[in-house]
Amino acid sequence: MGKPKVGVYGLTGCAGDQLVILNCEEELLDIAGALDIKSFPMAMSGGDENCPLDIVFVDGTVVQPKDEEMLKNLRERAKLLIAIGTCAVWGGVAAMSNETPREELKNKVYGPAGQVFDTVVPQPLSSFVKVDLAISGCPIEKEQLLQAVASLLHGDLPRLPNYSVCTECKMSEYPCLLVEKGQLCLGPITVAGCKARCPSYGRPCIGCRGPVEEANVSSEVRLLREKGFTWVDIQNRLRTFAAPADCFEDKILKEGANA
Amino acid sequence: MRIVILPKENLAEFIGHLRSFGELHAPTKRGEKSLVFAPVSDLSEIELNYTRTILPLKKYFFKATDVMFNFCAEKGYELPVEEADKKYVIFGVHPCEIHGLKILDLVFGGKYVDTYYFARRSKVAIIGLDCIPDDLCFCRSTGTDFVDTGFDLFLSDIGDSYLVRVGTSLGDDMVRAADSLFRQVKKEDREAYKRNSVQRRDSFQAEIQLQDLPGIMDLEYESHVWEEVGEKCLSCGICSMVCPTCYCYSVFDELSLDGNTGQRKRIWDSCLFKDYALVAGGHNFRAQRSSRVKNRYFHKQRGFVSQYGRPSCVGCGRCKAYCPAGIDIVEVISKLRSEIRV
Ligand code: SF4
Ligand code: SF4
Ligand code: SF4
Ligand code: SF4
Repeated sequence: MGKPKVGVYGLTGCAGDQLVILNCEEELLDIAGALDIKSFPMAMSGGDENCPLDIVFVDGTVVQPKDEEMLKNLRERAKLLIAIGTCAVWGGVAAMSNETPREELKNKVYGPAGQVFDTVVPQPLSSFVKVDLAISGCPIEKEQLLQAVASLLHGDLPRLPNYSVCTECKMSEYPCLLVEKGQLCLGPITVAGCKARCPSYGRPCIGCRGPVEEANVSSEVRLLREKGFTWVDIQNRLRTFAAPADCFEDKILKEGANA
Repeated sequence: MRIVILPKENLAEFIGHLRSFGELHAPTKRGEKSLVFAPVSDLSEIELNYTRTILPLKKYFFKATDVMFNFCAEKGYELPVEEADKKYVIFGVHPCEIHGLKILDLVFGGKYVDTYYFARRSKVAIIGLDCIPDDLCFCRSTGTDFVDTGFDLFLSDIGDSYLVRVGTSLGDDMVRAADSLFRQVKKEDREAYKRNSVQRRDSFQAEIQLQDLPGIMDLEYESHVWEEVGEKCLSCGICSMVCPTCYCYSVFDELSLDGNTGQRKRIWDSCLFKDYALVAGGHNFRAQRSSRVKNRYFHKQRGFVSQYGRPSCVGCGRCKAYCPAGIDIVEVISKLRSEIRV
């Protein structure tokens, strides 16, 4: 296969995941050498906005109607669509208060200025289009991105961890903040990949990478309740980065809270 | 076995001597309460009265992640260059820990020898140290509270001295190199040793009954206990990471951007993970969390017995100590036993 034709785009969000690509300083030449980057609006002007693409990387969340339109267009253009960042994969912080009506939220956040634009209920990319690979993280880990590119060059999908932050925390032998200090750590239900960055600095995991597959949320809630955290504290922490995830549905949370 | 006495006031100096036999590692503080084996420079950094470290000694020989070989499309593969003949001395190793290593030696020895493990194993001297059990230790039940082999030296506290058992010729060299620090064993020393051994034996609080356990496990294969534990378990994998005898790993290739080179690596794995028993075609032999928890217990207490004639659990208590959900192996086993007692 020749060099794959690649696009890098952002929907509504902080563009932090696109920035991780640009921050691959040492590897940037290798990346540019291996990929034929057709368009990367954040980094270069004059990109080709119509050509078919082999791979498109998309960060951000669908928050405005134009995001949905852009996403669907990218899906049509690209053979592989890769969601990068927790916003794209799970909805991110934009989706934190999806149960509050849009108008009310807009008014709270923007006041009268909110009248001039439209927003929709923020949803991850997979609610609108097929996502071929999801690389979560707030922002994504550079190593995971580079591994993904390297695997894609071999015509393969990368191997991403399907276990929790605790696993990496113990591999690095960090003291457990939950067991030892009774802190509200979401490591047991958050997907690994960051090498337990926060516990490495003595801070609990706040779940920025989103839930691990089959996260046992009700057991986590139960054990946090036993440690004396209030239902409000727990719920707020759980719903910061990935509120639309099935495992954080109200019903499941309440099960844990009542147990 | 040669036995000598090391007065406690000579310990600091002896530790200094040990450093000439390799880089010294010992239990030392990490954070407020935790302990880890790590490099130390003198006695002041060593926690002599510790109970358990977060990770067992397997981390030195069977690393959490490891490069197995480098590969290149044209040149084939080559083994990673290990640091030249660097030696290590690990001081302060408890009996259950030594038994844990002996079990890993069996597993990695076998028919297909794990050269990565043994290359490192041969460079490390083990200086054992006895301990006082806490409420989670049950090594007395698993028969791993005492060691006859598997150490170069073993120190037992007898009050104002250590009774030192010499286990290997390397251990003998260590004693000889610091000859003036040791003295001969006297009758009082032997008595103090026996007294302390009895006292230690009597201080165990946790206990599991191993007798008939494999049979009971078979009978209780469908027990609701597994469902209960499965509901609590977070599949976080901590119990496997911290267990001295969990030795599963997963192998994968990490490719470079040049499309031509890469590394084959391995990383600790756990049967508690969803993907562990996933096979091509998408079938998962242990899709339910309860069946995965059950597997961990079965392998320790049933499968390993069939294969090696003893359970692989050494009673260190780590899996309970670090489980966020508080799952307690002693409690699970006693529940299973009471199932059939009716
Ligand atoms: S500190 Fe948090 S991430 Fe680390 S083991 Fe404890 S619960 Fe898991
Ligand atoms: S420890 Fe948790 S909050 Fe911190 S970077 Fe990792 S996933 Fe994010
Ligand atoms: S440490 Fe506890 S919660 Fe985590 S996988 Fe093991 S048994 Fe389950
Ligand atoms: S199963 Fe638990 S108690 Fe037994 S050796 Fe492993 S960590 Fe220690």
